[in-house]
Amino acid sequence: MTKRMAKWVSWGFLCLVLLVFPRVFGIYYSNVFVAFAIFAVYSLTLNMLLGYTGLLSFGHAMFFGTGAYTTAIALDRISGMPLLPVVLAGFVASVVLALILCPIVVRVGGTAFAMLHLAFGQLMYVLALKLRFLTGGEDGVGGFPIPAFSIPGIISVDMTNPLNFFYFAIAVLGLSTWILWFFTKTPIGSIMIGIRDNPQRVEYMGFRVTHTKAIIYCLAAGFAGITGSIYALFQNLISAEDGYNIMVSFGPIMATIVGGVGSFSGPIFGSAIFSIIEELTSRYTERVELVMGLILIGVILYAPMGFMGVMGLLKQRWLAARKVKLEGAK
Amino acid sequence: MNHILETKSLFHDFSGWEVLFDVNLEVREGERHAIIGPNGAGKTTLFNVITGMYKPSQGAVYFKGKDVTGLGPYALSRLGMGRSFQITSTFERQTVFQNIRMGVLSRKGIRFNMFRKVDGLEDVTRETEEILKRINLDKERDYPASILSYGKHRSLEVSMAMATDPDLVMLDEPTAGMSKDETKYAVELIRRLTEGKTMVIIEHDMDVVFSIADRITVLHLGTILASGPPEEIREDQRVKDAYLGEMEE
Repeated sequence: MTKRMAKWVSWGFLCLVLLVFPRVFGIYYSNVFVAFAIFAVYSLTLNMLLGYTGLLSFGHAMFFGTGAYTTAIALDRISGMPLLPVVLAGFVASVVLALILCPIVVRVGGTAFAMLHLAFGQLMYVLALKLRFLTGGEDGVGGFPIPAFSIPGIISVDMTNPLNFFYFAIAVLGLSTWILWFFTKTPIGSIMIGIRDNPQRVEYMGFRVTHTKAIIYCLAAGFAGITGSIYALFQNLISAEDGYNIMVSFGPIMATIVGGVGSFSGPIFGSAIFSIIEELTSRYTERVELVMGLILIGVILYAPMGFMGVMGLLKQRWLAARKVKLEGAK
Repeated sequence: MNHILETKSLFHDFSGWEVLFDVNLEVREGERHAIIGPNGAGKTTLFNVITGMYKPSQGAVYFKGKDVTGLGPYALSRLGMGRSFQITSTFERQTVFQNIRMGVLSRKGIRFNMFRKVDGLEDVTRETEEILKRINLDKERDYPASILSYGKHRSLEVSMAMATDPDLVMLDEPTAGMSKDETKYAVELIRRLTEGKTMVIIEHDMDVVFSIADRITVLHLGTILASGPPEEIREDQRVKDAYLGEMEE
């Protein structure tokens, strides 16, 4: 009971912190936080494939970019589009793209899965550059109107105000995080982990691996689309470089590895570590990637389980040390 | 006579190398059927073809009177065929409880539920715990499968196949690599778990075979040499020549 209370208290505290965050740290750091949150949730969607299903994708950016472009183009072309439907459109567009790829990609794993995604991801990148009439080519889509968050007759909140947008982005991303976390706890979530560890046995226990993978794949794609959509709204601009570039695919892989592949919250910590490092190093040098690359090498060599793995180890040592102390006291 | 499983002139080859040659296996409902044969006789391949891992190059497999040739493992599992593996194949990073729970989810047809927490499904938890008691692994409930002793890990392997509640269970050398005591315990467990079910077992240990099986099929060089009750097989001259004789020397 007290454990449950502690849980609620800490969640309440977190909500409170997020609520006062912009007032305490100001708009600049609020925007830094939104950028971090977008990247963190985007990394979570990749971890659904990498950490939970054992599928490494080199082209996850295509879902991020598709969500972003869908939202941007919808707002650019259709006047009077409301806010939530355009975010939802980002989700749907990415799910549709995932559904198209499903029949091929769920049948493969390992290197083939990674390479197919590299190919499809790059294809989307080129399409975004070449389909100028739709995507604006290298300029991308930008300067589109940001609609207000409105429930007709009740409330209308201006989203061009960065403070309001902060709350909106955090709410959408927070809800997405909760849904992804809940998914890992459901029966299909436990089958997903089974597929990572032993797909053959899962198949022999009466579950259809390809179908289960397809559902997870679409889910991961859809929520990556949502993060892309929020990104487009946040920047009021989306270009091929920000949406479909290969680095957009590699970013969450690095964040996940640094944070810890085996855990749900690993990618969040990984993203936080990267965001902080980016913020700090960019004050002194432009070679942010160099620093991050060195950190990645260090993690792979010395802490392959990432930040969460190191934390788990420290916790174990602390518990063991305490046990020795307690026994000594007896 | 009711045959729950039947293969009709089954052939299988690996890129031209014939491993199964005109295999006509008949398994009656409710019997404990052992498949024996020297190494390389094609026992595991026969299992793999029957359980849907490979498609036979010729011939057909009938399960419960239905032609199931070419169906995948998941489809056969849903029809009521369970299988354990010669090389232990569990979810090693997950707990014993979670391993067995997979089978319980399967038998209840919970495959795509994403709206409830799996820990909150009380009937699933209860049934899983009942199974754990029956297989004497309730003390190890929350251990990861990988840290179980070899004998217990093998019991888990067999129990996972049984957790899906199959009508026919195919056990591929369940006692492989076990000590004498472990084997004795495993045989007892298998006997208990497969009560009222049909079982096909591949086994090398002749003591196990003759103590557990109602009928025995001898596979030799990819084809059936003899098939019948244990006494008959023991006396069969061809079997003695090919297999049993060697062992007694």
